[in-house]
Amino acid sequence: MSDTEHQEDGHGSLVINNKKLLMWLFLGSDCMFFGTLISTHLIYRKLYPESYDPLLVFDLELTSGSTFILLMSSVLMALAVSAMHKGELKSFRLTTIGVIFCGLIFLACQVYEFAHFTNEGLTLSTNTFGSTFYMMTGTHGVHVAIGVFWLICLYFYSYTGKMDAHESAVDVEVAGLYWHFVDIVWIIIFTAVYLIEYIPGLR
Amino acid sequence: MTVLFLGGCNLDTRMTTFVTKGPVAETQYDLFMLTVWVTLGIFIAVGGAFAFAIIKFRERPDDERPMPSQGHGNPLVEIGLIGASILLLVIIAVPTLQGIWYTHDTPEDPESFMGAWYSGEELAEEEADNPLIVKVIGYQWWWAFEYPQLGITTANEMVIPAGKVVHIELRSFDVIHSFWLPRIAGKVDLIPGRTNSMWIQAGDNFLRWKEKQGVAGPEEESPALRADYAAYLEEEIHNYYYGQCAEYCGDSHARMHFRATVVDNKEFAEWVIDERTGHGTPDGKTWDDWYAAYADNPDSLTGDLNEGLKLFMGRAKCATCHVVKGNPRALGVAGPNLTNVGSRMSIAAGWLNHRIEEDGSIDLEKQYDNFYKWIKETDVVKPGNRMWKAGGGGIGELIDENGELALLTEDEIHKLSLYLQSLK
Amino acid sequence: MSQTETEIHAPSTTQAPKTHELKPEPSQLGFMRPDHSKSVIMDWLTTVDHKKIGIMYGAIALFFLLVGGFEALIIRTQLAFPENDLISAQRYNQLFTMHGTTMIFLAIMPLNAAFFNFLVPLQIGARDVAFPRINSFSLWAFVAGAIVINFGWVLQALQVMGLFEASGPTAGMTDLAPAMGWFGYAPLTGTNFTGAGTDFWIMGLQILGIASLSAAMNFVVTIVNMRAPGMKMMRMPVFTWMTLVVSLLIVFAFPAITIALGQLMFDRCFGTNFFVVAGGGQPILWQHLFWIFGHPEVYILVLPAMGIISEILPVFSKKPLFGYSIVVFSGAVIGFLGFAVWSHHMFTTGLGKVATAAFSLLTMAIAVPTGVKIFNWIGTLWGGRVRFSAPMIFSLGFVWMFMMGGFSGIMHSSAPADAQQQDSYFVIAHFHYVAIGGIFLAVVAGIYFWLPKMIGKMWKGNLSTWVAIFSTVGLNVTFFPMHFLGLLGMPRRTHTYLEGFGWETYNLVCTIGAYILAFGILLLVVDIIRCFRNGEPAGNDPWDARTLEWATTSPPQVYNFAKTPIIPARDALWEDKYGPENRKITHEDDHGHGIHMPSQSWMPFIAALGFIPVGLGMSLMQAGVPYMGYVAIFGLLVLGLGIALWAIEGPGGYHMHPEVDAA
Repeated sequence: MSDTEHQEDGHGSLVINNKKLLMWLFLGSDCMFFGTLISTHLIYRKLYPESYDPLLVFDLELTSGSTFILLMSSVLMALAVSAMHKGELKSFRLTTIGVIFCGLIFLACQVYEFAHFTNEGLTLSTNTFGSTFYMMTGTHGVHVAIGVFWLICLYFYSYTGKMDAHESAVDVEVAGLYWHFVDIVWIIIFTAVYLIEYIPGLR
Repeated sequence: MTVLFLGGCNLDTRMTTFVTKGPVAETQYDLFMLTVWVTLGIFIAVGGAFAFAIIKFRERPDDERPMPSQGHGNPLVEIGLIGASILLLVIIAVPTLQGIWYTHDTPEDPESFMGAWYSGEELAEEEADNPLIVKVIGYQWWWAFEYPQLGITTANEMVIPAGKVVHIELRSFDVIHSFWLPRIAGKVDLIPGRTNSMWIQAGDNFLRWKEKQGVAGPEEESPALRADYAAYLEEEIHNYYYGQCAEYCGDSHARMHFRATVVDNKEFAEWVIDERTGHGTPDGKTWDDWYAAYADNPDSLTGDLNEGLKLFMGRAKCATCHVVKGNPRALGVAGPNLTNVGSRMSIAAGWLNHRIEEDGSIDLEKQYDNFYKWIKETDVVKPGNRMWKAGGGGIGELIDENGELALLTEDEIHKLSLYLQSLK
Repeated sequence: MSQTETEIHAPSTTQAPKTHELKPEPSQLGFMRPDHSKSVIMDWLTTVDHKKIGIMYGAIALFFLLVGGFEALIIRTQLAFPENDLISAQRYNQLFTMHGTTMIFLAIMPLNAAFFNFLVPLQIGARDVAFPRINSFSLWAFVAGAIVINFGWVLQALQVMGLFEASGPTAGMTDLAPAMGWFGYAPLTGTNFTGAGTDFWIMGLQILGIASLSAAMNFVVTIVNMRAPGMKMMRMPVFTWMTLVVSLLIVFAFPAITIALGQLMFDRCFGTNFFVVAGGGQPILWQHLFWIFGHPEVYILVLPAMGIISEILPVFSKKPLFGYSIVVFSGAVIGFLGFAVWSHHMFTTGLGKVATAAFSLLTMAIAVPTGVKIFNWIGTLWGGRVRFSAPMIFSLGFVWMFMMGGFSGIMHSSAPADAQQQDSYFVIAHFHYVAIGGIFLAVVAGIYFWLPKMIGKMWKGNLSTWVAIFSTVGLNVTFFPMHFLGLLGMPRRTHTYLEGFGWETYNLVCTIGAYILAFGILLLVVDIIRCFRNGEPAGNDPWDARTLEWATTSPPQVYNFAKTPIIPARDALWEDKYGPENRKITHEDDHGHGIHMPSQSWMPFIAALGFIPVGLGMSLMQAGVPYMGYVAIFGLLVLGLGIALWAIEGPGGYHMHPEVDAA
């Protein structure tokens, strides 16, 4: 997906691949996205502590499980990147399928969670908690979905025979950066949105 | 050119921030002038250097000068200039901080406590040590002024005592508005979902006035001084001030004015009683009798004012949205309180004025015209306002018994205008 | 360009080296890639050449500058007399909203982008930006956003003609073009206060944000990675530096407004409660989110102007920029502090003493790096040899007028004084001195400076002087009295005013000034067209300039430099011309590889085109037009398909072997 192959400088300037640098910038920007979303949530939580008790709907076991699965997918992603660097297509496919699978489980958990919460009466428009919660976790879910879609593309692309250990390894690494970031963001959301509710002093 | 321009203009206008009354606007003005002088100094120094450089170093025909030195700058000069700019900013920063603290919190001024100056009765005991509180509520596009300690509410024209601290609470009913009474205080926003506060004081209290007069010692006190101070309040402060909404709030933002009348203590107490009592019926009946007649035989109520009142309560549906104190059935709160609307100097949130500037009295003819215009074409005077449509219940959508559109006739508007004019 | 020294000194010989015919080639999709030579329109729609993209940005931005200017003229005409009824309140509110939005997002930002695109690769000795197709995508996404945001006017016109009436969630609302001010304070943007115009505004800004973000990331990568050998960071021209700072500002500031707009869109479309007071929302949150974006945005607008000035002043003073490193550093400091002063737009919202004091002090602090720039510009003139050519005249005008805008900025920084100035005409005066006296004059200076490079033709005659006179006089006649208007209590955004408040004369003078300014801008357009039609060949280096872009042909060839230059020093071209032997530009040997060029592509254009149905569909759905949800989904599919095909088609590329004289 590179646009220019020539990276003719490298003389004296930082040597970091164009695509990787682009991804880092995107992630920097994304930090601000999630920062805004999470702070909106926390601000409203602090303003209206009594407006809603999320413990009515939260299911810590389920969410912890899906968090764990997402974390494990990061490990697999790291393996996939390393496999691609070595040019081991088979191992790459296996680990990528694993990541995709984990991502899908996570999404399924989220869909279940949303459905469950909605049934319990917490919707987008119920109160500010609903608004901020769904928008934040929904945005994260969209990120995961895009990541899964991206990995599926890479997976099928690996059958075209056009993948090599040099250029394609960078592509996979960039996808990996994205995936790890999405995981890290989830850990923050999990802490700041779910776990925090279980600390009595903070509620 | 600039001097000519400035020479020709009058800075003492209705909403000027140059000729101010009272400590808040004066503090703000002093700070502004400080920034003006500091920046003027910078302007002369930097602008002078700039002009000098352009002229001195311009290229001349057949320039024989050698190629300019290709130096990349001088750290010492840079550091010096940075230091100088920081110094100049400190000159502004220190009074700014003082100003922020001074204008933010309502001061504890014993002379401004209600107990010290309010001569009316019915003041709750615990309010004696508080300043007057006015709750300002912004609506699209008018203002409600509540006096919670006194149990009265008025609209668009507030009345405040001269030389006394007034604590103001600001809330909004719909969108963001901003309360700006330039000659008395800078603006503070009315934001839905929160309450802001500010304080204003029209004119100086005795202490500050004495300081300005150069009277030695804050303890200095004499009947003559007091008399001078009273004269100052009467002459300088006793006035009619113009204010306007300063935060864009929709269609008729430009027409969301308000006024503040500054009065002395005695007048204030009288005004409060006036507002509390409200109005009787046009022909002196009690309200119960009037309503009985209205129910049994409306035609027995004759005369323009009675006709106007009947319209007010009936077909024109005014009472659905407006309060008229005294009238037990005019209790609507969606629109401005109309108690004493006939003694206000303007209607339609300050857009239609009938004050005679020379003596501060009301131009009755103009007042009648304004009421007439406002009722007839309220959507033109204030586009988008709720009186016209009100979600199907406004006067622009009045229907007769056959369900056909039947706006108020000219005669009806005439009678309503006369009735409203009589509310004073 | 491998040119001999003599060629550089004799700018008239602009012989372009012959190149091989550019041939289309199949992409990985199996289709032929769009051809360079077949049709002009196709060539421009599919181009990935940063220079063509830059020129398109510039042309579209100038068009919107005229649109925004026209809106301003109507506004000023309405205000010429008290209680004037040329236009209705609602129309006035729409005009000032769109005037602000157009000028900021559709005129100044893309004008800056035009300079970024055209100049940055040339200034750092690169062939193109790092991601040419993303660059093309940014341009077309910007166009899509501009169309969406202005579509409200079309709908409004239809409504006035009686051909359309809003139903659905915004039924009964008659404002179908945006009418809530360019910072769209909640809750006025809620469905119970404003109509579909707000939706067009939200969707349009969202799309423009995507365009800006993708462009900004592209430029950071380009500047960090694509520099020619030897072009160290501290050798980069200041304009490139400012581009880097601005791009980083965009990367970190735009998310705030993207999220805020997203929340607002959810409020309007899906009933969330972010800014709905009845549901517990806090409208003040919008202000914080908006200004966390909005204040950096101010520097996003003005820093490129400072960069332009920092390029022009040294050239016409025949001196290097005084204190290069401090100018660069102060630019970075301004960018950084820009994130810490947002609440000075909110001094009247009841922040509390401590927050007000903190933001007041930080705002004063930001005056220091700004002042430093002005000192250094004067230092650059000092001891130089000042030539009064058009770019220089505008640059000097910039310094003067920007200084004026800066002074009123210092007046705002004192929070209590600001309580009288906020939301009055004083603020209007302040930011128009910065925007017109600052940014606009700098951009015009840039146009006169670089137009010969862009199109290879030199503007001629003295029309530029008249442009300068009319625009500067017009600017001052329009906006200087506004300081007084504001201090005499006239609030901004009022469609009319009563007689007797002492505002009549000032307003009339302002209106006259606006027409003088408009005449100046008209002359500018005439002058640009004259230059296009019958400018003389400009030569490579008409100004005896200092930076690398002047080392190549005018206009530059598609590959910019036939051989990659090796940069030995700051002010590379100047050192090459006048410096010692060891500071001459040398060239890399390509060992016969030729130049790798990216292929043109339809995909960015198609993907960006998808934004139009998304934006219009979402907005029209709010206005109650049936089936619009499907249109929005269709747009998303087009967008997705475009991006997918873009990924699959591969970068492509071909090699060129310009036949240069073996000099």
